[in-house]
Amino acid sequence: MFNLPNPQIGGPELFVLEFGDIVAYFSPYTAVLFAFALLFTVLVIVSRPERQVDIAFGGDAYYTKEVEPDLLRFQRFMAIACGLATLGAMVTGDVFNFTLFASMIGITNIGIVAAYRNRHVLNAAFQYGIVAMLATVPLFGGAAIVLSSTGTLSMWELFTAAVAVPLIAKAFLVLGVMGEGMAPFYIAKAEITRAQGAPFILMVHVSSLLLFLRVMEIVISM
Amino acid sequence: MMELAYPVGLIVVAAAIIIGFTALVREKDDLHRILLTDLAEVIGLVLIALVATDLAEALILPGLVVGISELLAVSEVYIAKEGLREPTGPAFRIEVMDSAPGILALVLVAYGVFLSGFTGGAIAAVGVVFYFMCRGHAEQFELIETVSGYAWAIWIAAFFIFMFLPQYWFFGVMMAGGAILVKVMAKMSLVGTMRRGGPDV
Repeated sequence: MFNLPNPQIGGPELFVLEFGDIVAYFSPYTAVLFAFALLFTVLVIVSRPERQVDIAFGGDAYYTKEVEPDLLRFQRFMAIACGLATLGAMVTGDVFNFTLFASMIGITNIGIVAAYRNRHVLNAAFQYGIVAMLATVPLFGGAAIVLSSTGTLSMWELFTAAVAVPLIAKAFLVLGVMGEGMAPFYIAKAEITRAQGAPFILMVHVSSLLLFLRVMEIVISM
Repeated sequence: MMELAYPVGLIVVAAAIIIGFTALVREKDDLHRILLTDLAEVIGLVLIALVATDLAEALILPGLVVGISELLAVSEVYIAKEGLREPTGPAFRIEVMDSAPGILALVLVAYGVFLSGFTGGAIAAVGVVFYFMCRGHAEQFELIETVSGYAWAIWIAAFFIFMFLPQYWFFGVMMAGGAILVKVMAKMSLVGTMRRGGPDV
């Protein structure tokens, strides 16, 4: 019933899930991305936070850092929500749904980073939050231009050769995803890759990477 | 006329984007930058609204929700970053806030019930928000939450009527209209309780 219009990019579709006129699909490409996101979501669910040890310089003494249960719970929740949003963004067949999932990834990334009560980390989280908010302008703007110029948001229509998506809409989509997926840079800036509760930070990198891979597939196929 | 409206609107939006982003680059105060980013998000919504179809109208609400939740998240980060505390002094007093709430809330709620549906819920909610803001509140939040939960269930049930018993569509419309009214009103009325700082807000 459904056939992906150009299977040379993501491969032929393997499985199609129909919600009314919104049709999610798995191609070999997106299925791999989905499996990757699923793997890391499961890892976040089962993993325990990393407990750091600081060696006191010049002696045998060391400090252990405790992770507060509240902080742990909040961060784990945000990481799992981020994983679910990534799963959604990987399989959705609708451009606007994709932008919504992308901004949800942005919000949860702010949450993961902001869980630390540390001033320079909070500063980085704030700067990232501003960028993520600004990125919704090109993100939704891109989807709106796609809708106004083609009359549809369904990727099944947009991927056909008959429908031409203007270059500016594609550029806006990529720009928006760049803003939402910018979090790893701010993590590097605040040097919290190995901070308390480290495994949850991984979700930021995973979601950002997968989001870029997916938007590339969408933009090339359009 | 309509063909002209879209390109002209796009030009206006482009000008607004340039102005907004220039202001953001020049602004150094963090609080003002939050406000400017919120303005920029409105431009994103305007881009969707310019399309002016039913589908675009349906896209506005999720766009708005995403914008508000990002604004909330960034504001929370800002509060934590600056170490801000709730002010402890007495709340400001305005005489109108003691005399007006009863009648204004009544008029707004009555008009909202008359409108019904989502718009009615929003208007009735404004009345309730105003009342709670001025008069304070001493009721159980669990009750409001429960009512809102039942309203949501009725709303979903109305959708099942549309899907499985389409011949009773009028009954479904009435159910959905009433339930979404109660739902939106109950949720928004919680906003009005925030200023006086109750036990769990």
